[in-house]
Amino acid sequence: MSYQSIWLVLLFPILGFLIQSLAGTRIEKALGRKALGAIAVFPIVLSFIVGLMITIGIKPGEPAPMVTLGDWITAGGFRIPFEFIVDPLSMTMVLIITGIGALIHLYATGYMSDEKEYARFFTYMNLFIASMLVLVLGGNLVLLYVGWEGVGVCSYLLIGFWYTDIANAKAANKAFIVNRIGDWGLSLGLMLIVALLATSPMPREMVGMDHRFLSYDVMLPWLETVLKAHPAMATGIALLLFVGAAGKSAQFPLYLWLPDAMAGPTPVSALIHAATMVTSGVVLLNRMHIVFEFSPVASAVICVIGAFTALFAALIAFGQSDIKKVLAYSTVSQLGFMFIACGSGAYWAGMFHVTTHAFFKALLFLGAGAVIHAMAHNQDMRNYGNLRKYLPITFWTMILGTLAICAVGIPGVFGFAGFYSKEAILGGALANTHAQIGGVQLGQIAGWVGLGVAALTSIYMTRLTCLTFLGKEERWRSIPAQHHDEDHGDAHHELDENHTPHEVPPSMWIPLVVLAVLSVGGGFMLSKGDAFEKWLYPTDLSVLGHVSTEPSNIPLALYSTIAAVGGILLGLAFYLKGLPKNQGFDESKWSPLRRAERDQFGFDKAATVAAVEGGGDIARGLWLWVDNGLINGIVEGLGSLSAGIGGLLRRWQSGTIRLYALMMLSGLVGLIWFFATVVAKGGR
Amino acid sequence: MHLLSILTFLPILGVIAVLLLPEAKKNSIRQAAMLTSGITFAVSVLLLTKFDSQTFGFQFAENSEWITQLGIGYRLGLDGISIWLVLLTTFLSFVAIAASTKIDKRVRAFMACLLILESAMLGSFLSTDIVLFFTFFELTLIPMWLLINIWGGEKRAHAANKFLIYTFAGSIFLLVGIIFLGYMQFKATGTLSFDIVKIQAQVAQGKLWAGFLGIEPIVFWAFALAFLVKSPCFPFHTWIPDTYAESPVAGVILSSVMVKMGTFGFLRFCLPLFPDAVKTQIPILAAFAVIGIVYGAAVAAVQPDMRRLMAYSSLSHMGFVLLGIFSLTKIGVMGGALQQLSHGISATILFLLIGYLAERRGSTKLEDFGGLKARTPIFAAVFLIGMLSSVGLPGTNGFVGEFLALVGAFQAGYKGFFSLGLVVVAGFGVVLAAVYLLYMFQKVFYGQITSEENRNLPDLKRSELALVGLLILFIFWGGLLPNTFLKPMEVSVDNTILMASQRPGHRPQWAEAAAADKLDEARNETPTHIKGLEASR
Repeated sequence: MSYQSIWLVLLFPILGFLIQSLAGTRIEKALGRKALGAIAVFPIVLSFIVGLMITIGIKPGEPAPMVTLGDWITAGGFRIPFEFIVDPLSMTMVLIITGIGALIHLYATGYMSDEKEYARFFTYMNLFIASMLVLVLGGNLVLLYVGWEGVGVCSYLLIGFWYTDIANAKAANKAFIVNRIGDWGLSLGLMLIVALLATSPMPREMVGMDHRFLSYDVMLPWLETVLKAHPAMATGIALLLFVGAAGKSAQFPLYLWLPDAMAGPTPVSALIHAATMVTSGVVLLNRMHIVFEFSPVASAVICVIGAFTALFAALIAFGQSDIKKVLAYSTVSQLGFMFIACGSGAYWAGMFHVTTHAFFKALLFLGAGAVIHAMAHNQDMRNYGNLRKYLPITFWTMILGTLAICAVGIPGVFGFAGFYSKEAILGGALANTHAQIGGVQLGQIAGWVGLGVAALTSIYMTRLTCLTFLGKEERWRSIPAQHHDEDHGDAHHELDENHTPHEVPPSMWIPLVVLAVLSVGGGFMLSKGDAFEKWLYPTDLSVLGHVSTEPSNIPLALYSTIAAVGGILLGLAFYLKGLPKNQGFDESKWSPLRRAERDQFGFDKAATVAAVEGGGDIARGLWLWVDNGLINGIVEGLGSLSAGIGGLLRRWQSGTIRLYALMMLSGLVGLIWFFATVVAKGGR
Repeated sequence: MHLLSILTFLPILGVIAVLLLPEAKKNSIRQAAMLTSGITFAVSVLLLTKFDSQTFGFQFAENSEWITQLGIGYRLGLDGISIWLVLLTTFLSFVAIAASTKIDKRVRAFMACLLILESAMLGSFLSTDIVLFFTFFELTLIPMWLLINIWGGEKRAHAANKFLIYTFAGSIFLLVGIIFLGYMQFKATGTLSFDIVKIQAQVAQGKLWAGFLGIEPIVFWAFALAFLVKSPCFPFHTWIPDTYAESPVAGVILSSVMVKMGTFGFLRFCLPLFPDAVKTQIPILAAFAVIGIVYGAAVAAVQPDMRRLMAYSSLSHMGFVLLGIFSLTKIGVMGGALQQLSHGISATILFLLIGYLAERRGSTKLEDFGGLKARTPIFAAVFLIGMLSSVGLPGTNGFVGEFLALVGAFQAGYKGFFSLGLVVVAGFGVVLAAVYLLYMFQKVFYGQITSEENRNLPDLKRSELALVGLLILFIFWGGLLPNTFLKPMEVSVDNTILMASQRPGHRPQWAEAAAADKLDEARNETPTHIKGLEASR
């Protein structure tokens, strides 16, 4: 199919959104819930099919075609059309978004089947897919920004989906506001680009092109020539764009919103907060890689932040008992890996990990959702155990997903999906000499940190698997059954000793199986003959040249295999027997380190207190002291003074309106008198 | 055809019709007022269809003498700066009247006030004689004062007087400035005139301020003060929380139009008539605008009352308008001008909905609400759209103007016209906007229904939804097809910037307004601080 049809990919989810939002509840009443679910899934599947057909027709290495659908903003010689870019980067994301998106939509038809507001859920989900597609397909940075904020709003709406619990609403607000801090950086970055390009001469071969300053086909080659002359500017732009990327992709310190975002329904966590939206920072860095290539400093900063985030989040994962929270911190940690790759110049490796991570993290989240579904919506792993007996499909698919995220593989023979991408990232970091400040090879240090975090990943994922599925103990059996009234209208019953988990319906396990297949074979297929690298970056980078992901003198394959397998063995040693005594419900018995990890080392609390209470105090201070006290005090003071004078007048004539008329009149008299004298002096 | 006069005084005709009806026939009074404002809106749309966006001169101009001896004329004209404000006025006046079906007290007087206010605002936007402008500008105060004072909330008398005296105090400076400007015109030409076309012609040739460059900034500030109070700009904003909190809904909607008379004043008078002062004084004003953006947003975040929250939100949003205008770049000024419209629409939809809440519940205090989404889903959905528009979400009207204003301001900062730090801070206002608007939405709609009185609140009625839907249409129109609004203003904005930024002798003149290509000649002389995007041509 010709790339010209790219608008179809966007059209289907938008139509889906319109149908769900305007007619959803009516369709549900008329045709039933199943039909409405089908109407929600169908457009995403169609988008995937069209996307696949377009992707087949792409030849990497040719100039990326832009499809312009019309004008959007034209002001002062600055033009931003509705235009879409069809290239390997955007189409890779399209396939992930619509492919994984379709599976998760299908899963959600089962997962949300007890939900009252089915149509509202799919309204937001379809809108999310549409926004995410705009983000990756948009042909200029402003359209990217449209999608960027659009997915932020959908995320906000979906985190707050169960809005009657005020905690969810607050988590939603937090997500949107922290994201907006990132957006602030991104918008300043693109303003700096506009200001820079507007004052720079156009390269000769581009003269005559119109003023699409932020369109990729104009901006990127232009930036290349301009930044060559202004390397300091590259660092400025790169750091601002990175602030945006860090907000969306949950890098320290802007990761704060992502763990709270788990308040949303689990399909949302899988789709938005693991597989797609949170990777858009990596997409941005890939799209704008030319800027980062020019700036070793910014690249080093990205490596350091990425490595720190990976380590920090992996440690926190050990202190979590909520199965979704473990996966949330795992996501933050894995995103850190992707940023290490981008900082080191191995941009393709970052995207590779985006892809494989989408497979296995979506799988893990959906698996966790299946567990939660089976366990009466209780998310605490301390209540689980021995679930392999009840949920065989979920168990086996999640085992495969765990092996994928732990990056298990036999070098040179076969590995699970994560094996190949993590190998490329660590290799790229250890081999690079780009990310450095003052000769300190921060990128390489990040690579070593990443290797350590890979071992931690294996341990905490094994912990999750053991606590949930293995062991003989069925710990929920120790929750005494309580008789309670059914007046709260909640369809779910409580988890207690009488509970028997059941395997999930086909609509939920089919996506698990498909994702498990991808998690097993996806990495192998995509890395065969460097297929993925050659697909995304068919030629060498223009500044960095060839980016090696094979460090010399370091037996990386050996080290990472030791990290992966050793971590799993270590995890099994600790947790195979079930929940250790010192990690139970009595959290005072936890080790101090684990408690610190549970509390995110105090960082979330400190930031929240500083922002919410500190900011609130400042704002209240401004309001009560500055606004009411000082500024308004002066105004009211002057007012009373004039009221006093007015009071004198009022004895003689009452009412402010008269006072006003009087002032008007005297003004007019003054005016006439003034001009009369002026005119008289002028001799007319 | 005196189209502009017809437009300006149509609402007055309506006033007469309304006053002729007996007070008891409340519905007929409402219908008459609505019909009048509907026809006025239709006439303004007719103007739009006949509007020529290729010239920066005044169109449909009317020129007749009024007080000949003093050079005061009855002069009206329409250009790209005023066209959308005229349409905004007629449209929102219609909305305000349509939203006032619940007013039961002295309906005749109420509708008369609204219509007089509409007429006065239209006159302000259309006047090309400064004294005539001043007359209309001041005329808006009386109906507004009455609206607050008679139909307002508990502390209405205080709020009404504060509004009146505060804005009038600002106007006194304007009056002095006008007189002085007239005097300067007399000195330069020997004839007295308040025709801005004639005055600007002198300014453009550098004759008016020749030898008085030291005084020019003082007169500039006399004008600026009045407009800063009106806009409102920090620190002259404290009238607006009281006004918004105490006025009836229609009054608030119209005052959200009235504040545009302030920003309009900068575009129409300050930039073209004081070009030498503009260069030195505007950076100071830009700082005030930015303080307003952040300060307004911060204070809005801790307001316990929705209407006061919206008042500070207006301060913040209008800061973007001012910052865009003060950037003196084409992108920035167009962004600021567009943001005027966006703010008008998004503030109106939120005020309308807050007004509906107040009608249902008798309160606008945040603590009285909570969990309404479960009870009134449609209400929550449209409120969400209005909120997102106000947050400046791309795809809604709120984004485009704010974005362009910031891009323009960034360019000005990049050129060193004012500090780049100002733009960085202003950009953070966008984050804060999310803080207070999301907070308001959460407080009203999320959580459990805690108050018994909220358990039976009815959702939006069909008629209410129709009115809100009309505004939503413009939210998405402005967001997806902003060129509809940008195109007609482009040439006039360009002209205004060149008037403000060129050296004497190179400034374009309204008097010579022929076609846009005139501006291209002038542009070759653009001084560096506003060169902006033109450099790449």
